[in-house]
Amino acid sequence: MPSQPALPHLLAPYVSSPPQSSLTIVSSVLGATSNWLVLRFLYAALGNPSASNSGYDISGLENGKKKKVVLVSFLRGWEFWRSEAKRLGLDLARLTEKRRFAFVDGLSDLFSSSSTPSQSPLSSHQYPGAGAVPRTTLPIRPQPTPARLRQPVPLSTGSNGIASQTARESGPITKLHFSGSGVAALDALEKEIAAVINELVDTKLGDDRGESEIILVVDQSDLLLAATGASKGIGATEMGDWIMGLQQAAYATIATISADSPLIHNASAFAHEAPPPLETEHAAFAVGLAHRAEIIMQLRNLETGAARDVSGVLRVSKGSAWGQREIATAEESWEEKEVLYFVQRDGGVNVFGRGE
Amino acid sequence: MSFRKRNVGLTTGADRTSVPNISTPPQAATQSAPPTPGVRPSPDDGRPTTSTGSPSLDNLLAGHGGLPVGKMLLLEENGTTDFAGALLRYYAAEGVVQDQKVHVVGMQEQWGRSLPGLIGPAENANEKSDRRKSERMKIAWRYERLGEFGAGVAGARAPAAGSGGQAPSTDGGQATQPAFCHAFDLTKRLTHPSIGNMTYIPIRPSNEPLLVSIQKKLEAAIASSPPNTVHRIVIPSFLNPTVYPPEVSQPENVLPFLHSLRALLSRPASRITAIITLPLSLFPRSSGLVRWMELISDGVIELCPFPHSADALSTSGAATSHEEPPQGMLKTHRLPVLHERGGGSDQNIGQDWAFTLSRRKFEIKPFSLPPAEGDKEAQDSTRSDKMPKKADLEF
Amino acid sequence: MVPSNMSHRQTHNLLLISKLLSLRDTASPLTLLLDSLEQPATPLVKEYIRRARLSNVHVTLIAFETLKPLEGVDAFISGRRKSPSEILKDVAAAYQPDSSNTPNRRRLILIDSINPLLRSTRLDKNFHLSTFLSSFIIPSGSPTAKIDSSLVITFHLDVPGRPAQSPYAPDPLTVLTYLATTVIKLHSFSHILAQKAARDRSLVPPVFGLAEEQDGVLLGRLDKPIGKDSAEGGVVLEMEYRRKSGRGVLEWYLLPPASRYPPTQVKEVVTLLDDHPLYRPPEEVGGGDEEEPESTFELRLTERQRREREGVVLPYFDAQQGDGPGEGGRILYDMGEEDDFDEEEDEI
Repeated sequence: MPSQPALPHLLAPYVSSPPQSSLTIVSSVLGATSNWLVLRFLYAALGNPSASNSGYDISGLENGKKKKVVLVSFLRGWEFWRSEAKRLGLDLARLTEKRRFAFVDGLSDLFSSSSTPSQSPLSSHQYPGAGAVPRTTLPIRPQPTPARLRQPVPLSTGSNGIASQTARESGPITKLHFSGSGVAALDALEKEIAAVINELVDTKLGDDRGESEIILVVDQSDLLLAATGASKGIGATEMGDWIMGLQQAAYATIATISADSPLIHNASAFAHEAPPPLETEHAAFAVGLAHRAEIIMQLRNLETGAARDVSGVLRVSKGSAWGQREIATAEESWEEKEVLYFVQRDGGVNVFGRGE
Repeated sequence: MSFRKRNVGLTTGADRTSVPNISTPPQAATQSAPPTPGVRPSPDDGRPTTSTGSPSLDNLLAGHGGLPVGKMLLLEENGTTDFAGALLRYYAAEGVVQDQKVHVVGMQEQWGRSLPGLIGPAENANEKSDRRKSERMKIAWRYERLGEFGAGVAGARAPAAGSGGQAPSTDGGQATQPAFCHAFDLTKRLTHPSIGNMTYIPIRPSNEPLLVSIQKKLEAAIASSPPNTVHRIVIPSFLNPTVYPPEVSQPENVLPFLHSLRALLSRPASRITAIITLPLSLFPRSSGLVRWMELISDGVIELCPFPHSADALSTSGAATSHEEPPQGMLKTHRLPVLHERGGGSDQNIGQDWAFTLSRRKFEIKPFSLPPAEGDKEAQDSTRSDKMPKKADLEF
Repeated sequence: MVPSNMSHRQTHNLLLISKLLSLRDTASPLTLLLDSLEQPATPLVKEYIRRARLSNVHVTLIAFETLKPLEGVDAFISGRRKSPSEILKDVAAAYQPDSSNTPNRRRLILIDSINPLLRSTRLDKNFHLSTFLSSFIIPSGSPTAKIDSSLVITFHLDVPGRPAQSPYAPDPLTVLTYLATTVIKLHSFSHILAQKAARDRSLVPPVFGLAEEQDGVLLGRLDKPIGKDSAEGGVVLEMEYRRKSGRGVLEWYLLPPASRYPPTQVKEVVTLLDDHPLYRPPEEVGGGDEEEPESTFELRLTERQRREREGVVLPYFDAQQGDGPGEGGRILYDMGEEDDFDEEEDEI
């Protein structure tokens, strides 16, 4: 396939401009992950206008507003997102420096137990940052901007907010740490993320014209629900409230969730036996979010089994909240659709209809 | 996860000389990081990979020719057989042979003593050496191409290409291309100087939640070893109630543990791989907990052994009578890196796999049902019937 | 069906839904809307708000999942992280009936989704759903005051409930349906049509969305063929109304899409589902007369053809009279002049 545009034109209307204060749900399954789609959202908001030759306005400048992105990821670290975005031509490290992007790391220290001070020097000795202890690799592909690339400065984050405060100021990455239980623990996380968002909002750059729109991407926050459980006093309602709190801070929110059969259907009204709480809470969270969403993008495997030239099926539907919008403006009008997609080896994505 | 930048590679070279653990002598002055034994760049995208100790599992992993460093594999097995355990032993033995640090969770030293004995590098140990060799050639060729590619773009990378592609012919002596994967004999016991280096993290009651203390011990063990060490984390029969107390299988215990394990693996400076085996008979895939464990893992492979494989299936699935019959089906639900990127684009996708465990290897082959499957006698009888009938018709 | 019966049902039930949706005479103090991802209650809620505005009713929205107030809502109360008593206080504060002589405005209190509240882990043991709900309708301050509030609650059927606290207590949905004076279950019209089409052919009716139990599918609805303007848009309301006498009324209605009528329309827009041409195609007029099946061949005869056919005398016809032995079986044949008679041949 000849070089694909980073944003396939069939996909562009769905990812380019999420409506204000909207919630977009991206659901995925084990064999059809959502990372490529999240990257497309990032690209649509942060992509370089000169690099795109498509007819869509993906310049990030819309009505004089500059789009900024805060990515909160619970299952993947900074390295993954940085290198994958690079394949799309998106330099997240540079964008972080330009204060157009911020990464919130929900993987590294979320459940880490090393909050005792005695272990901090040890770990900081071991990971002094800046890649001084690299893996031995044969770097095959050249890195275009090696000098400008700022490695995150991983500081061990204490259970209190103060340590993370320092972490945020010294490095581009905020690391979340879950401590305590119940709503209070969630509130602490929410506060950290909101602080990152506000910091981006407040940063005015020379070329900034007017206000900026913050697009918040919360990747796999359902892990938080699954891994904490009822014993920590966190249920679907609390998680839903948590997302809602984050929504209030951002211009538009994109949340990814898992919609695997065992997680959704074991607990549905059509199941026959009483499901365990993990499934019940997950299903309630996922379905509840879908009720609140404007756009629902569902990824799943091909029903007919895996194929070599198809990665999966993408179905875009209007969520329940879509009906609350008064009159869809021209740019917001889009139709529900089901397409196939294929993630190529080079990271490009081919999106096409069935039979095309 | 990505490979290192050029300029950083230089500093490492200096660093590494001080590390006593590495046997490779520092090569000519400016060179990029010398290869660590047992780690090689993936032919797919150059990320470092390490062998699982069984070549055919290496080949299954989405074109990387091994388990990418920093990735976690979940091996699930149906029934009460222990094929996954055999794979795990290959994996651990390979780590021992490659001087990597192997951490075994939940088992005693006993487990380490039952590792399979070393035969030699996987390539020449195999009886079907010619076929192996052709695969080997393919890898070498890929190497070379990548080397040239690197040299073409950045001149400083030429030595790296040399160490990859031409080293075997020029260096001679000690530096013949170090074997990436070895062959082992399950009936023998591994004796290797570094076998004592394995660390065991047994299940002991403590005042902390069990998995939290395991996590802490793992992190401490990894932190206390020299920074360039490659680690392997081996978790046999995870959550098995004969090993683990029942409260461990609560989601709020298991999932944070796996999540922090994932965090540990994906730290930029760490060089760790992990394989976990899970008995599916106790924890079925249809449960939400197992699905979450799979979602946290980078790769998910399910083994479905055939029920008492003895005679019924003796010839089914084997292409010729010389090949050993498969002992079960193997399903790949998720492969490292590939599915993280969105899936697809792998030539092995959609293939049905069968596995055969023999004394010397765990082999994974495409599975195909022979026409006579399960009804061999009937077919034989019809065939024998047919001949006289045809003869009758002649008259 | 007797036509007069049908038209009676039509007028009666249309009047009823009109009264319910417009909150006239507080016909139903507690209405329960049962929806799902396949057919959210939003269009119906908007219809409630539209009618409330037409008749100057004060609208309060208690939002557990809505971020922005809907248009036409007078008071918007976020229920996020609030205890039931806090919500009650906020709702009471949202509208202060002035004690002067002007008659109080009627109130419509909407809860956009009761599920988060019911699932909340922070609900204490002594939370009683029925007390909570009734305190919206009957303000605690003045028990004698006239009831002039209506409560409309949305419940998502596809959100699984929390495991029951007590195995013997009824679950919240059961309690809600028991308490409600009107229960409206929402269906998508296109789904109803698809299911009816399958039933008409004695096929298993299709299921949609979560009920498909397909991996990765939350939502099955695709508006591709339906579109905004096609005839299949609209919401089917399966209504159960409990009268004070205890008798229930069951009826299926169709609420057309909001784009079909101006927001100020006073005339009833809801129709009976049975009256919709797509659901029940009008039977062809005079169907009883044409009994014979139509065919490309004309099998019938005109009157003249029939008479002529009857006039034809068949050969051997005479033989059937059987005049005597040896007489039957003769061939009656009159020799014509063109016949070449051969003596020898006739010898035998």
